[in-house]
Amino acid sequence: MKRVIVILFVLVFLVPSAVLATENFLGIPVFPGAKVTKKTKGRLEAVVSRSHEQVFDFYKQFLKGLKDVRFREWKTASYIEDDGNRPWHSITISKGGANTTVIVIMKDNWTWIMGTLFLRFIGVFVVLMVLFIALSVSGGIISRIVGPEDQKKDKA
Amino acid sequence: MTFNQILDLLRGVMQTTGVFNFDPKVMVMWAIAAFFIYLAIAKNYEPLLLLPIGFGIFIVNFPLVPMMGYEHGRPQLLQFFYHYGLEWEIIPCVIFLGLGAMTDFGPLIANPKTLLIGAGAQLGVFVTFTGTVLAGFTLKEAASVGIIGGADGPTTVYLTTLLAPQLLGANALAAYSYMAMVPIIQPPIMRLMTTKKERLIRMRQLRPVSKREKILFPMVTAGIIALLVPSVIPLMGMFMLGNLMKESGVVSRLTETAQGSLMNIVTIFLGVSVGATMYADKFLSWKPLLIFGLGLLDFAVCTAGGILTVKVMNLFLKEKINPLIGSAGVSAVPMAARVSQMEGMREDKTNFLLMHAMGPNLAGVIGSAAAAGMFIAMFK
Repeated sequence: MKRVIVILFVLVFLVPSAVLATENFLGIPVFPGAKVTKKTKGRLEAVVSRSHEQVFDFYKQFLKGLKDVRFREWKTASYIEDDGNRPWHSITISKGGANTTVIVIMKDNWTWIMGTLFLRFIGVFVVLMVLFIALSVSGGIISRIVGPEDQKKDKA
Repeated sequence: MTFNQILDLLRGVMQTTGVFNFDPKVMVMWAIAAFFIYLAIAKNYEPLLLLPIGFGIFIVNFPLVPMMGYEHGRPQLLQFFYHYGLEWEIIPCVIFLGLGAMTDFGPLIANPKTLLIGAGAQLGVFVTFTGTVLAGFTLKEAASVGIIGGADGPTTVYLTTLLAPQLLGANALAAYSYMAMVPIIQPPIMRLMTTKKERLIRMRQLRPVSKREKILFPMVTAGIIALLVPSVIPLMGMFMLGNLMKESGVVSRLTETAQGSLMNIVTIFLGVSVGATMYADKFLSWKPLLIFGLGLLDFAVCTAGGILTVKVMNLFLKEKINPLIGSAGVSAVPMAARVSQMEGMREDKTNFLLMHAMGPNLAGVIGSAAAAGMFIAMFK
């Protein structure tokens, strides 16, 4: 019931008013009434005296129907990510702030793309390195313990 | 019946034929289909795939053909194959089962350090990702284009179906075409990146691998991949199951089916349904052209990445590795390994690199699947 009331509140009051009147950052509205604490060209941080649920529903509603937008739930925050070509990359909405929620909107940036690519390339190495170690160890053990038996059998 | 009524009747009949619904754009698609069928038949380039893909392109690019749509909510013939085979991610996994049942991992088990070459050869996948994003594709599309350089058809199809199904036709065509063209694409890069002295390096004969090691390999690999990159386990799990079936020697009937009839059946469905995704309306744009350009770059960088990895490894190894086997890290089994062998023999006719190159070649299959898993984890 509480969730329904929150959604109705967001739908009726916040979304239309946000779109019409609030500050925008990279095409994303800043939550109505939120106080912007830090702002650079690529990052905006704002604090608002609302619950995480209200803020999250506001953005979920705003982004409804957009392709390539992904919602992730982390322990300390909800993370909304754009995998398309929009000017913003992510919206992070903090959790557990007892009616105070921090919103961070990040610009789409090459640092993230290059960083994640580099890590994932290293990741491929790590996977194959682990396999290499496992094969070397298991191969060493097997060839010492049972290898001679197999060779005898093969010869026979 | 009046003359006008007869004319109306005739007109009604005519409207049910393709002639009166003809769109000239489809003729371009016929030409593309003819080109790939020509490559398959006349040049023998990946005929098992390019022939059904070419025919799939041809047959869906006629007006009113009931092949790729829905009728009363039910999928038409090729839509049925596409939906249940590709959208449900079944066909690539079944092909991997067959590939596993055909593969002998002996060279890789005998020389496991070649696994690192398979990882280094994924360089192009990540470089191309960046280029593709710069070219205006979305991140998911970029990942699906990047994996082309892994030179692994089922992995490309699997990842593209998951992340960017709208690019399936172009990606699959680029992947299979370039895999067929490995003997043309790789040698100039291999010669450019290696010295004569390096090309003459002789490698020690591989140790014999026991049956127990071969049986253990699919279990160990499946376990490690499942732990580290679980998202790609549908592919790798089936691959390793096929290999376990082969190496165990106790289910020869299943092995024969997996590597023979079953593989052939799904290959037909894969080819024709991939081709059928290429409608003129969807396909005729700048994107497929870019995909073909980026795919070529991808192959080149992956080849270079494998060779560079060997060179770096040689800095630390007492027994040097011939860098010509580095190019085989791009997967494309066994074509890329044969290219290493041919290039080695150009310098020294008694230097046989084939079995040494099979190690990185097989590592490339695991490496490209791991790279695909990284992308799936990134976007899912």
